[in-house]
Amino acid sequence: MRESLAGSFVGTSVKRVEDERLLTGAGSYIGDLKVEGMAHAAFLRSPYAHATIERINAAAAQRLPGVIDIITGEEMQAITNPFVPLGMIDGLYTPLFWPLAIDRVRMVGDPIAIVIAESRYIAEDAIQLIEVDYEPLPTVANMAEATRAGAEQIWPRADGNVMFRTEADYGDVDAVFASADRVISETFESHRHSNQPMETRGSLAEVTPDEVIFHSAAQNSHGLRWVLAMATSSEPVLDSVKELAGPGRDKLKAFGAGAKAFITERKDDLGDADNKGFIHQVRHDPTTLKHLGKVFMNVLAQDERRRPRVVADDIGGAFGVKGHPGREDAALLAAALKLNRSIKWIEDRNEHLTVGGMAREETLSVQVAVNDDGELLGLKVDMTMDQGAYPAVPFGAATFAGIMRVMMPGTYRFKAYSMKAAAIASNKAKYVAYRGPWANETWVRERMLDVVARELGLSPTELRLRNMYGVDELPTKMLTGPTLDVRMSAKATLEKAIEVAGIDDFRAAQAKARENGHLLGIGFSTYHEGAPGPPDYADAILPGSGAMMAEPLTTVLEADGTVSVITAQMPHGQSHETTLAQVAADQLGVAMDQVRVIFGDTAKTDFSLLGTGGSRGGPMGGGATLFAARGLRDRILDEAADMLEANRGDLEITDGAIHVAGVPSISKSFAEVAEVVRTRPGSTEPLTGSVEYDGGPGGWVQATHVAFVDIDIETGFVTIPRYVVVEDCGELINPAIVEGQVRGGVAQGVGAVFYEKSAYDDDANFQAGTFMDYLIPTAMEIPDIEIHHLETPSDIEANFRGVGEGGMIGSPAALTNAVEDALAHLGVRITEQHLPPTRILELAGVIAPA
Amino acid sequence: MTDTPTPALRVDPGGRIGVSMTVNGTAISTDVEVRRTLADVLRDDLDLTGTHVGCEHGVCGACTVAVDGQPVRACLLLAVQVDGTEITTIEGLANPDGSLGPLQQAFHDAHGFQCAFCAPGVLITTASLLETNPTPTRDEIKAELSGNLCRCTGYHSIIESVETAVRLTAAGAKSTDGGDEEASNA
Ligand code: FES
Ligand code: FES
Repeated sequence: MRESLAGSFVGTSVKRVEDERLLTGAGSYIGDLKVEGMAHAAFLRSPYAHATIERINAAAAQRLPGVIDIITGEEMQAITNPFVPLGMIDGLYTPLFWPLAIDRVRMVGDPIAIVIAESRYIAEDAIQLIEVDYEPLPTVANMAEATRAGAEQIWPRADGNVMFRTEADYGDVDAVFASADRVISETFESHRHSNQPMETRGSLAEVTPDEVIFHSAAQNSHGLRWVLAMATSSEPVLDSVKELAGPGRDKLKAFGAGAKAFITERKDDLGDADNKGFIHQVRHDPTTLKHLGKVFMNVLAQDERRRPRVVADDIGGAFGVKGHPGREDAALLAAALKLNRSIKWIEDRNEHLTVGGMAREETLSVQVAVNDDGELLGLKVDMTMDQGAYPAVPFGAATFAGIMRVMMPGTYRFKAYSMKAAAIASNKAKYVAYRGPWANETWVRERMLDVVARELGLSPTELRLRNMYGVDELPTKMLTGPTLDVRMSAKATLEKAIEVAGIDDFRAAQAKARENGHLLGIGFSTYHEGAPGPPDYADAILPGSGAMMAEPLTTVLEADGTVSVITAQMPHGQSHETTLAQVAADQLGVAMDQVRVIFGDTAKTDFSLLGTGGSRGGPMGGGATLFAARGLRDRILDEAADMLEANRGDLEITDGAIHVAGVPSISKSFAEVAEVVRTRPGSTEPLTGSVEYDGGPGGWVQATHVAFVDIDIETGFVTIPRYVVVEDCGELINPAIVEGQVRGGVAQGVGAVFYEKSAYDDDANFQAGTFMDYLIPTAMEIPDIEIHHLETPSDIEANFRGVGEGGMIGSPAALTNAVEDALAHLGVRITEQHLPPTRILELAGVIAPA
Repeated sequence: MTDTPTPALRVDPGGRIGVSMTVNGTAISTDVEVRRTLADVLRDDLDLTGTHVGCEHGVCGACTVAVDGQPVRACLLLAVQVDGTEITTIEGLANPDGSLGPLQQAFHDAHGFQCAFCAPGVLITTASLLETNPTPTRDEIKAELSGNLCRCTGYHSIIESVETAVRLTAAGAKSTDGGDEEASNA
């Protein structure tokens, strides 16, 4: 028996609600779907990194029995709009591009044609029959090439190949640097690698007489819906204007009222927003205005039946990549609308490796001003990002540069800081969000701190402890703006990590192992992450963006007495169906099986720009559930008070029975309350509780990682005998699920550092198109990961912080720091993030550098 | 990934051949296009979509099914190659009423999966392992599962789930011997 608000589910490792279907093979992933009359699509893709398309001949392919249609670039251009830039940021130019390449390919894998056939096998046969004549162009394979004078320009309207530039100063940087005992500099390189969920991307455009349903493995169904609506509403704009001036007048009015309400509600938050990004964009490409105007008018005037309803169901992982609507998605929907037929496209692994999305290719030059006693004074960072050929939709590298700018100083007491960032275009695949897309702020800072410590003759932990904000200094503000509140416990995680690591014992073992040809190393890294961050966090990144961050959620008392939690979160492995149900069940005093979490369908869920991402599931999804469920509870109790003729304040809920405290024998069930509401004359609306949750006081999640490595100097192979994570994510909703998230993140960090690379050659030919080239770590490579939870006591309600990304934010720094520790006596300094065995051997001087 | 006609083939690759097999205990006879993989036939023709396709080139292991008790990659086999065999898929590990079978229950108890896209392969590989080696060590479990990629979990929870299954099986065996079930119920 439980008390209604006893919190008996939250905090326990409740077993997953999802498992019953997922473990028996009854899940419903995108590849599993079949609808009446469904055709199949496959894409013809460029084998060249950069070339003009001289001629396409699809006649033979078109004649193949079973081929329904082949759409190439020019026709696609006529039936779609370019992806109009949505995330406009000062200093960013976003080129306009269409779902298919038109007269020029800009990367290996650039889609040139979509083939629609009765089966996937036939579609792929047809692709082999399409002839394309290319005229190769010089390629841009890397950052050095992109910025070389006379380099081939990938986008004619850009400044060379520079797509984005930004610069910010905090404090008196020159003065602080001038005052320091010394300035230590280093340049770090992080390699291109990628999310690679076990399920690739995929979508099914289902055309029915009443509506178009776009089923997709999408992290954000509402975002995808509007991007697709914009990309495929290509009617002549004059028709839309006529529609809006005449029969569709109400649509315009409704939109105007909605926009006004949105802006009025968020007036304070939006106040800081500026239009510099818009001006920058239009200066580079005035046609942006024309396309924006057309897209806007067409979407407004659009027949609802052609605006897709997006439905996402079970998803086989994503880690960020499925938050970006694909060009393939828009091509698929456009083809389905053209043919008035349902079409499915499932990406294959080679496509996903080649064009699905890649991340983190960045070079960062860092300067640290420091006193000889180890006092950190100033930080300067100059970063270049390689965003590939086509920018990710709806936002990409430039947005993440903003998060990096804010987070770079970490929780250290720097007095001044400056950051310059640029993003360049290359003939490679798009740069996407990957689990903690800003994670290189942690990697570079924590790597650099070890460099500084070594130069000063201090231990890495000593340097960190000396400069990190302690709890006695809180609350304070980061140099970059956001508040560090009293729950910011980064230093506590470091202290605890030092305690459990047993450094003295380790140093003894390290000395001994060297005698046997094994080099042991230990590495620390500490970070904090805005998941969700304090209320002033989002605006520090992009003024006005805080207004977009709210999480909508609705709880409903259904006719049968069960409760639906309708969320805009889009689970893809994080177990929201369990965790949100835990939170709601506790609020409502019901059993878990009386709560059902509904997600993914834009016809059912409230509009959110964000879906699942940014580790928002726990803090924003969990918080929104808590407050929405509480609102529903209030309404249920109001009704029950009438029914029981009791005082509202005397009521409580025990295991789904509503009764006067101490009198459990006379009670009403949720189903009885629902029945009264449903049959009440005049109103049949069910009871609901809804919120637009702003995150409340928010807060940071923080952790220290400690990696132990063992390097076999004969082979260069690195094993990880021990790995420790000490983290504070506030209150745990479900410890087993939290730990799964942490371990999964660390595993991806291990992959990134020792195995995975989205490699290109010097001509931008992709080199890692199979899982035999792109190595995902297996059960043999991932260590046991030891997790210690800390929690700073607080009476803040919904004190949940996100854990989805942290594992991957902390691990590359801890691992590379450990490798340097193992090799330091050989004079090695680690400045790159990718350390496969051959590189280890090169660094150790065992083999000559290639 | 496109199949182009190979002259050496004695049959027309677009042609069809009759295949008989037993899938999860049910006898099935069907005509399949020669070039179709077992994974595609299971998923598309027989609607057994519990078997997943993660790479189509034999590395990820998501498509693993048991053919005559041996774990094999259904993406690398043509359906015509399994004529006359007995096949078990993830669906076949469930109880007849569709509820979690014992191995699935162990993975549920130990929070084995996240997105569960890898689950069909991991479960079938584990089932085959436990058949030949009912009490594997942690290292043996890791080695056996090293052919099944999981991108979500970092494998810890999967290995714990296999250990849970081993314990539950041992407990089950003991209880049929009249032993105490509770004692080893982890
Ligand atoms: S799909 Fe068969 S091994 Fe990956
Ligand atoms: S649980 Fe997602 S791939 Fe294994």
